[in-house]
Amino acid sequence: MTTVKVSHVSKFFGEVKAVQDVSFEVYPGEVFGLLGPNGAGKTTTIRMMLDIFRPDRGEISIFDGKLTEAKKNRIGYMPEERGLYKDLKLEPTLLFLATLKGIDETTARARLEPWLERFDLVDFRQQKVQNLSKGMQQKAQLIATLLHEPDLLVVDEPFAGLDPVNTRLVKDIIEELRQQGKTIIMSAHQMHQVEALCNRILLIDHGRNVLYGEVSKIKRDFAGNALAIAGQGDFAALFDRARLPDTLPGVLEARQHNSAWHLTLGMGVDPQAVLWALMQQEGVRLERFEIAEPSLEDIFVTVVQRRAGHAEEAGHA
Amino acid sequence: MRSFWLIAKHEYLKIVKQKSFLVGTLWVPAMIIIVMGVSILVSLGQRGKLPLGYVDESGLLSEAVTLPPGADGEERLAMRAFPDALDARAALENGAIQAYYVIPANYVQSGRAQLFYLNQRPSEVAQRDFAAFLRANLLAGYPADVQQRMLEGSSVTFRASDGSKELESGDMLGFVVPFAAAFFFVFAVMNSGSYMLQAITDEKENRTIEVLATSVRPEELIGGKALGLMSVSLTQLGIWMATGVLALLVASFFTPDVQGVRIPWTLLGVVALFFLPAFALIAGMMTAVGGMVSDLRQGQQIAGILNLFFMLPFFLLMLIMAQPNSPLVVALTLFPTTAFVTITMRWAMTTVPLWQLAVSWLLLVASAGWCVWLAARIFRIGMLHYGQTLRVKTVFVRLRGEVLQKLHLPYKEEHNA
Repeated sequence: MTTVKVSHVSKFFGEVKAVQDVSFEVYPGEVFGLLGPNGAGKTTTIRMMLDIFRPDRGEISIFDGKLTEAKKNRIGYMPEERGLYKDLKLEPTLLFLATLKGIDETTARARLEPWLERFDLVDFRQQKVQNLSKGMQQKAQLIATLLHEPDLLVVDEPFAGLDPVNTRLVKDIIEELRQQGKTIIMSAHQMHQVEALCNRILLIDHGRNVLYGEVSKIKRDFAGNALAIAGQGDFAALFDRARLPDTLPGVLEARQHNSAWHLTLGMGVDPQAVLWALMQQEGVRLERFEIAEPSLEDIFVTVVQRRAGHAEEAGHA
Repeated sequence: MRSFWLIAKHEYLKIVKQKSFLVGTLWVPAMIIIVMGVSILVSLGQRGKLPLGYVDESGLLSEAVTLPPGADGEERLAMRAFPDALDARAALENGAIQAYYVIPANYVQSGRAQLFYLNQRPSEVAQRDFAAFLRANLLAGYPADVQQRMLEGSSVTFRASDGSKELESGDMLGFVVPFAAAFFFVFAVMNSGSYMLQAITDEKENRTIEVLATSVRPEELIGGKALGLMSVSLTQLGIWMATGVLALLVASFFTPDVQGVRIPWTLLGVVALFFLPAFALIAGMMTAVGGMVSDLRQGQQIAGILNLFFMLPFFLLMLIMAQPNSPLVVALTLFPTTAFVTITMRWAMTTVPLWQLAVSWLLLVASAGWCVWLAARIFRIGMLHYGQTLRVKTVFVRLRGEVLQKLHLPYKEEHNA
């Protein structure tokens, strides 16, 4: 049994290929990450899942069948473009949106109270939405998504606009929902924010499947493609993106995190070769060199670079 | 269906709670109350308590008869004779009379008399009383029935050649109501159309539409909005009509002329029958426009042009009044956007044949149904085109695709990519 099954869907907007042949499945009780950079086709895929857009090709199944009006009430959707009535007060807006999802106003009112308290919005319930800060509107939108207690939660960029405290709060809520057996599909372009939460992911780029599967397995598969380095020397100049292919062949990207540098290696690149190349550099003294667990961002960069390389080769051929 | 009602209620309450709605709705009753209040005050003091004086140099009023009470049953103003202008002037200055007339010796030839007053001219009613007094005395030698006829004046009845339409010259409502209905309809249509357009573009602009689209069907969303906004218009018209009826009732206590007013029930029935589909038609049009444009301003420009299709009969008012059964006017009667206004305006001038009413209503209902169906689809196609105006060609291609898919006919997708 699958909660969501997307099979070979494509969507075109004129000349723009927004989504091409994307497939994935989401199972009950898991947190599924739909990841990729801005413009990758994540939101279009979500909109097709929710029948806002009709796919030009492919099939979509929700709760083992076509999306019906009754099934819509089992879904909570928080769009990337937050949508609340700006000129209405917060409480009536949330109650209205909840009643459209099939619950009566009394139930909605009873459920609203604890959410307002948890999100620290009790004092703002009679304020017009337009008078709330962006972060407050974001929290209000999440309440609107949760109030009818959906079985499937689809949240597009859930952490956009949230401060670290509220980001933590939203992550805790997602974790609680997972423990309650809810299915959650989370879309994000900042992969580090969601990788710890997701059971499985689909990495999508330029509208195509790039990587799909369990997070732990993907990380295992790509172990050895990331290094953590610390020491003395002008690492910033050494890891300059423009010079990187010449100074350290096989290193795709370098990012500084706290006192260490994280390097992403291309597929098949031997970490020992990178160590040797580093030791050849003048003025560099290594104090730490370790094979690190790659982040999803590292993996994404590796895969995208690999695909670009393949495409280039195909072009030359 | 539950969502349909929820949206209708939400849309209704959202607008009627706005200050602009309250102000826009209450100004008409406020104006009626003010006008009525002033009219009643004027009416109460119309004749004045003081009598009118007269100096008769013509001898016509030497044996003056007293004027009987008027048609409204009210006592006429007392008339007091003075032997000469000096006495009359003294009485005026003493406050014994409000004014006096001097009837010259050649009155029968000239038909002119002079009116003298101090600061305030006697009211129209007081002057009419004196004119009636003068007429009554000029007719003193004639038989009573002739006198009666002459004093009542003329009463013309306009009758259609086939005898089906009759309009009394004093029956102002029979003439005014059709035009008032046409005016209010156009007002309500423009108002509601504007609300509808705003409701659609607002939800596109504030992105609420994406949340709503995953909760309800486009048909429920559009239908609920249309019903809510129509209820807003009906509330507004209801308040205005109730105030108007109340004003007529109150006025009848002070102005007995109003008691004879006949309510044109047949016309009101036709108005009720045509109003709903006509409203659905404009709501559908505005939804389609709202679904296609990127912002409210752009939508308003297109809506302005569409409104002209509803207002067209006003521009042809002279033709409708002069030739209410001409082919062009009949065409306007049958054309869905102009049907309502044309029929109501023709109602005042002629008898609209039953077949024209029936065909017009059927065409209106059919086009309204089609327009709402089309609007829901255009809305669905265009609802997420943030910041982009939907091209007519795109709409046509998508609609064609939808229809062919529904009919399970081969549909070739065309992509430039």
